[in-house]
Amino acid sequence: MSTLQSDLQDVFRRVFDDDALTITGATSAADIDGWDSMAHIDLIIAIEKQFGVKFAGGEIAALGRRGQTVGDMLQLLESKMGRIGG
Amino acid sequence: MLSDIVERFMVSGSGDAEATLHLVRWLKDELKAGNRQVVVEIFPRLLIPGLDYTTAMSLHRILKQLRAGGGRAPERRTRIAVLGSATTHQLVDFLDLYLHAGRVEVELYEADYGTITQEFLDPTSGLRRFAPHFVITCTTWRDLKSRPLLTDDSEAVGRKVEAEVAAWSALWRVARDEFNCQFIQSNFVAPPWRSLGNLDVQHPAGFSRFVSLVNRALADQAPAGVIIQDVDRLAAEAGRWHWSDERFYHQAKLPCAPEYLAEYAYNLAALILAQLGTARKCLVLDLDNTLWGGVIGDDGLGGIRLGQGDPESEAFSSFQSYVKTLGERGVMLAVCSKNNPEIAREVFEKHPDMVLRLDDISCFIANWDDKPGNLKRIAAELNIGLNALVFFDDNPAERSIVRQLLPEVAVPEVPDDPSYRIRALERYRYFEAVVISTEDLKRKEYYRANSVRQALESSAASLDDFLRSLEMQARIDPILTVNLERTVQLINRSNQFNLTTRRYTSAEIQKLMSSAHWVVRTVSLRDRFGDNGLINVILARIEGDSLVIDTWLMSCRVLRRGVEALVTNHLAHVAAERGLARMVGEYIPTPKNDLVREHYPRLGFRQLESDPAGRTLWELRLDEAWRPLTHFIKEVVVDEHTAV
Repeated sequence: MSTLQSDLQDVFRRVFDDDALTITGATSAADIDGWDSMAHIDLIIAIEKQFGVKFAGGEIAALGRRGQTVGDMLQLLESKMGRIGG
Repeated sequence: MLSDIVERFMVSGSGDAEATLHLVRWLKDELKAGNRQVVVEIFPRLLIPGLDYTTAMSLHRILKQLRAGGGRAPERRTRIAVLGSATTHQLVDFLDLYLHAGRVEVELYEADYGTITQEFLDPTSGLRRFAPHFVITCTTWRDLKSRPLLTDDSEAVGRKVEAEVAAWSALWRVARDEFNCQFIQSNFVAPPWRSLGNLDVQHPAGFSRFVSLVNRALADQAPAGVIIQDVDRLAAEAGRWHWSDERFYHQAKLPCAPEYLAEYAYNLAALILAQLGTARKCLVLDLDNTLWGGVIGDDGLGGIRLGQGDPESEAFSSFQSYVKTLGERGVMLAVCSKNNPEIAREVFEKHPDMVLRLDDISCFIANWDDKPGNLKRIAAELNIGLNALVFFDDNPAERSIVRQLLPEVAVPEVPDDPSYRIRALERYRYFEAVVISTEDLKRKEYYRANSVRQALESSAASLDDFLRSLEMQARIDPILTVNLERTVQLINRSNQFNLTTRRYTSAEIQKLMSSAHWVVRTVSLRDRFGDNGLINVILARIEGDSLVIDTWLMSCRVLRRGVEALVTNHLAHVAAERGLARMVGEYIPTPKNDLVREHYPRLGFRQLESDPAGRTLWELRLDEAWRPLTHFIKEVVVDEHTAV
């Protein structure tokens, strides 16, 4: 697991209050109890704070659509953090 | 002892992400290990302002877990309805959290999004059934319906302002007349953008100008029982662009950016706690390096840094000026310093740049004893609880020991730079005021006059001589509009001399004032040293042949002066006038009112019953055998004094 994915997993664990929760690239809202639209906002807020990034309004909505995965999230996060770093 | 993790979090003042993470993990581990009691005890103290969103969420989940296991007995309970045209779900959770910090357990009602008016007007609404003590509105500028047009002149805009206020005041009336509750009206935050640029503040149609006019009109027209929550101020503190993170409005209709929701809730909680009478009352100050730079015992009067001339000295002076304004509005000020008392006092008497003077200080303690012991002495001398104290000391070791030994005392972090101390103290919103009554303005004098009285007491030959020499004059009034605020303040603040500790809102008292079945009275007392103001409240109802005393409370600063006898005689007179045969009194014990356990027997009441919880019921028969009680207070009859 990449460092980024592991850090993201920590965020998931805090937001969903589950220290045993594991995520993979294929994890989606259907796999996690309580990942509803409200929790999605909580997740976005926690990710922004943890990684110091900002998602555009449209990206927040897109990540919340049915079928979106942790992999999509990681990809977006990587591109944002890459932009900050480079 | 506080664990290192807890201490580190408290010292960081919620600003250290890692300390915060460790804290949440530690709390969960303790719970898992079965150390529930440890978490229950420490938990309220961890709920400091500025919690980040995710941490506040985690802490709220822990709170729910604690409650499920029984939790801790609250000091107060209340019922609050939150009505919003924005998503209030998170705000409600955070409010719950911060009220828990104030030892208030709250039952919350969250109305559906955007149903404020319906909730008030619909006779079958959930709000009506819920019967709240407080209603809170959570709105945004988008709720302002009658917006100014560029072609409007000032008069037309003025009418639109009035239309906005009229719509709200219709709801205020429902809250007062039908729900009997307090109404917390959030004022409006203008959007961060201004289509007219700088002209927005000047042009009649400028929207930011319009919002500030509405806010001003709401504040001016809010009657007793309606409290304005200054959300606009919170936005300004945060920075308006930061506050209004539009992404989260568009996505989730949050009333403000998520990172400020905890602050929003903290501010609301501070307001509500003040309404419930649990705001802090006294600021206890250290001296060396807190009120001035340097150590008076070492540096001497000429050596300490204070006044104009260098930046550090100026910072200490401006901190003193700020503290003085707190004192002037009724916050009690005390000194607690490790110092030689004469040397410490001399600074207040002789240093030309001292802003605070000895007569600003209600209790001055300088000695070499430990500070926790001295704080207890201060609380005892001022007749207030430890939970009314805020301890402000630049020395981290002193703060730490007070945190360890006196958990009830609030101990804010104090930054090294004196320029940041006002901010450090303000962020906790300890001293939220409900109203500034004339009593608040005079409080300092009461306490000073009290020490003169105490000196006289020790020199008088007998207690009767002493009481006679005070030349006391009392004025007994029905509760009137002019003394309503002070009455409500006393009802909600008094803990010690309070027979039943029943709390009432301003709206509820207004109902009693106009009821033919209630006798409601206030007593004001003056003596040769000054005016003590309104010091006693009675709420009694007529029931059959009895005058039943529902509430009897008195300010402790007039203890043992004969007011109790005066009031008994007065009530007996009122009862006789109405042909009642007896008075009935009730005592409900609390952890704080042991002082009045023997109140009724002392006044000649006979015990009727008692229950296992210690509640007692007393009777005074008003037959021929009864004689008025002796006291040395002259009752002043006032012309406008009309019986209810």
